[in-house]
Amino acid sequence: MKRLRCISFACICGVTLLCLLTRCAIDAAEAPVTEPVTWNRQIAPIVYRNCTTCHHPGGSGPFSLLTYKDAQRRGPQMVQATQARYMPPWLPAPGYGEFAGARRLTEEQVTLIRKWVEAGMPEGDASAAPQLPHYDATWQLGKPDLILTIERPYTLAASGTDVFRNFILPYPLAATHYIRAMEILPSIPAVLHHANVILDRTASFRSHHSADWKDGIPGMELEVDSGNTFDPDSHFLFWKPDTPVLEEPAGMPWKLDPGNDLILNMHLKPSGKPETITAQIGLYFTPEPASKHPMLLQLEDDRHLDIPAGDRNFVVQDELKLPVDVEVFGIYPHAHYLGTELEGWAILPNGEKKWLIRIPNWDIDRQSVYRYRDPVVLPRGTVLHMHYVYDNSKENVHNPNAPPIRVRAGNRSVDEMAHLWLQVLPVNTPKGGPDPRLLLEQAWMEHRLAKNPEDTIALYNLASTLAGLGHSAEAVAAYRKLLAIHPEDARTLNSLGAALESAGDWRGATDAYTKAIALEPNACDARFNLAELALNRKEFAQAQDGFRNMLRQCPGDAEAHSGLGVALLGSEDSASAREEFERALALDPSNFTALYHLGEAAIESGEPQRATDLLEKAAAQRPGDVDTRERLAMAFAQSGRAGDSRAQLREAVRLAPDDANLHALLSQVLAGIGQLQQAIEEEERALRLQPKDADGWNNLGVLEARAGNSAEARADFQRALQLAPDHAEARANLARLPRR
Amino acid sequence: MFWAMASRGALILLCSWALVARAAEPFGMDLNGHPVEQIVPAGAKAVVLFFAASDCPIANRYIPEIERLADEFAPDRVRFWWVYPNPSDTAAVVRHHDEEFHIRGDAVLDTEQRLTRMAHATITPEVAVFVASPDGLREVYMGRIDDRYLALGQERPEATQHDLETAIRATLAHRPAPQPGGPAVGCSIVPRTAP
Repeated sequence: MKRLRCISFACICGVTLLCLLTRCAIDAAEAPVTEPVTWNRQIAPIVYRNCTTCHHPGGSGPFSLLTYKDAQRRGPQMVQATQARYMPPWLPAPGYGEFAGARRLTEEQVTLIRKWVEAGMPEGDASAAPQLPHYDATWQLGKPDLILTIERPYTLAASGTDVFRNFILPYPLAATHYIRAMEILPSIPAVLHHANVILDRTASFRSHHSADWKDGIPGMELEVDSGNTFDPDSHFLFWKPDTPVLEEPAGMPWKLDPGNDLILNMHLKPSGKPETITAQIGLYFTPEPASKHPMLLQLEDDRHLDIPAGDRNFVVQDELKLPVDVEVFGIYPHAHYLGTELEGWAILPNGEKKWLIRIPNWDIDRQSVYRYRDPVVLPRGTVLHMHYVYDNSKENVHNPNAPPIRVRAGNRSVDEMAHLWLQVLPVNTPKGGPDPRLLLEQAWMEHRLAKNPEDTIALYNLASTLAGLGHSAEAVAAYRKLLAIHPEDARTLNSLGAALESAGDWRGATDAYTKAIALEPNACDARFNLAELALNRKEFAQAQDGFRNMLRQCPGDAEAHSGLGVALLGSEDSASAREEFERALALDPSNFTALYHLGEAAIESGEPQRATDLLEKAAAQRPGDVDTRERLAMAFAQSGRAGDSRAQLREAVRLAPDDANLHALLSQVLAGIGQLQQAIEEEERALRLQPKDADGWNNLGVLEARAGNSAEARADFQRALQLAPDHAEARANLARLPRR
Repeated sequence: MFWAMASRGALILLCSWALVARAAEPFGMDLNGHPVEQIVPAGAKAVVLFFAASDCPIANRYIPEIERLADEFAPDRVRFWWVYPNPSDTAAVVRHHDEEFHIRGDAVLDTEQRLTRMAHATITPEVAVFVASPDGLREVYMGRIDDRYLALGQERPEATQHDLETAIRATLAHRPAPQPGGPAVGCSIVPRTAP
């Protein structure tokens, strides 16, 4: 595996101020307005359906609305808040996108609340009262599979401006897990406006803040290093008070690997007294990896965010053409305090305009991710549009600068942002084509470069994407362009080396890696790649030197130990290789290469139990690796666990249906447990794929003979002999058949 | 000499006002159940009533600001009272609330909402500033503390106009207190009698 690093853009932001009344969806069951309006009959049903998710004792709302007495206390505010559409918090204008969980009250509901208060807030007939909803202060989905807690309690000051802080929660497990749901317990719900969780695949944010990460790092937005493989951010991990549980759609869990960090970005609002926060994230696992792979796309134009003081109508726009068909699952508009009107729409190839969202009165405190009721289908060639308006005058009450000053893009709350994120799932992907997410990434990065040719992050990501698409020559050109800007960037040189290697230029690759190492002696990735290049060229001694050099500079690297192990195997020094694999495993119990080779060695040395232990772990790391399944099947077979062996081979055959050897192996295992007919079918499949396999025809003949099908067996042995006239077993088997 | 005389005059006024302010009925009750019959100690130049509610989030968010102003104006002999007008704010509730929010000022339970009526307060948080006058207490300021909250859902990141502070300064300088630049935002005061 090449070691490249991409940079991903993680966006996070702020939400709700006072959660006075929350979650107001459409209520159907109200009596006509002409009837006397009472709490029990009309108001409680509206409140229970739309408000008490937050406004219950211990909930994130600042007070309860659960009982008549509670609501009576807040009656005038309920009128004010609902009439002003401040509550329930719901910014999108109706008719500009159909969202799941829309919380806008109907006009009738708002009127009912007003009439109730005007009538003196009568309680009404107790027999008409709806059932009191029940809220649990703990995890909504039951005990999570993994609970992560922020490293140190954080004390929020009693007063002051809102606080945006990033807490890093390292993923502590040694194995990959797929996450089907996430829940956050903020510990003091009333001070948490909203939270965003960002995945940091390489713990880059933590390493940049190695001294003080445990106390949380201030900031609204952050960038993280997305690591070796193309694994773009794909989910909105956005929490707000009325949706404490975030469940992913079927087939779309997200993944956590050993070494990943979760970054919990919290928007906190001082309450009037110091608050000590010990937030927790609860994760719920699923054994099934994702079958659908969405990704997040961003429209933005921060470069043109340069808003003169006093400007009331500053517009920022962007557009992006889709290179593939997609379904849009969710949308996340984001600006800071000066944004006033945020719009997103799509122009389809036929010219039709499809609204994605319209927020006429932006309020950062009530921001949210909006998920569509049904995914929005956008064909290839659609152009996505973002159109944001900013007000930098003193009339904008949210303006953090008094008097107004010139404002540009930035990470602080006094700076601005112009971002529109979309979660898209590529659909109608041609079979055998490239990963459509790479095509989206390419379009996105090319567009960024069109806006700003000096955008080096975009240039780097574009180059990496081109490399991922197999366009090695173009990738090389892009990396060289980047090197023309930053000639001494070791990371780019390393990536250039990888691209050159893919293009078959191993000399150029060696040169690039060597330069990277010269510039940055502890450029571990370049050292790794240089050693691995030698390994791939079967220059085992050189590879061993390379890995050993790397380990001197970068000790404790499990992959380097396992790479050295493979190089030693190449030199047939299996004892030393074994030691290196053991070292790799001691450093990283999930190191696939070590697990695989130690498992293989255990098979060879007749230790089937150890082999199965190791190979099962290897298979858990790479469930789609056919070789591992095959070795594991062999280990099971050696242990006498034919059923398990068959299961592994069936999985291997599912993964690689065109691999004749796998079918043949499965046939043998099936024969061994007496499933002759299935064994015959598998052998036939193998032979359809590999019809000139004389051994296969002989084996099929044996199976047919055992099944009592002499004629078929005869034909099979004869076929084997036609292909290999000296095939002794086929000849002997033919002779053994009863005469016709 | 002139200044000294004027100052002495002010003291005399305060004394006479204090006598007037000693009403037949107490203003409210303190947290120990004793009637509060006097809200202006001798020598006070102004009295600030902060209308609070233990369950009102905006009122609670203003606690540090009120503490700051109380500390700042203590040397100027400005007396702050934390007035709790709502029926649900019993002595036990308020004591717990004051401990939780580290409130150092004196609380008065406005059990008859006499102070609420006197100040014309309708919501929490609101503040009233009184000074002595020959006719008794004179309200020189009533309304919001500052302009951080403009309406429900309209909040500035930070206040830009500190109405209460400006009013106190003007009062101490014997100038008319500028009136609030906008309405107070918060939670309605719950009437003591059923509506």
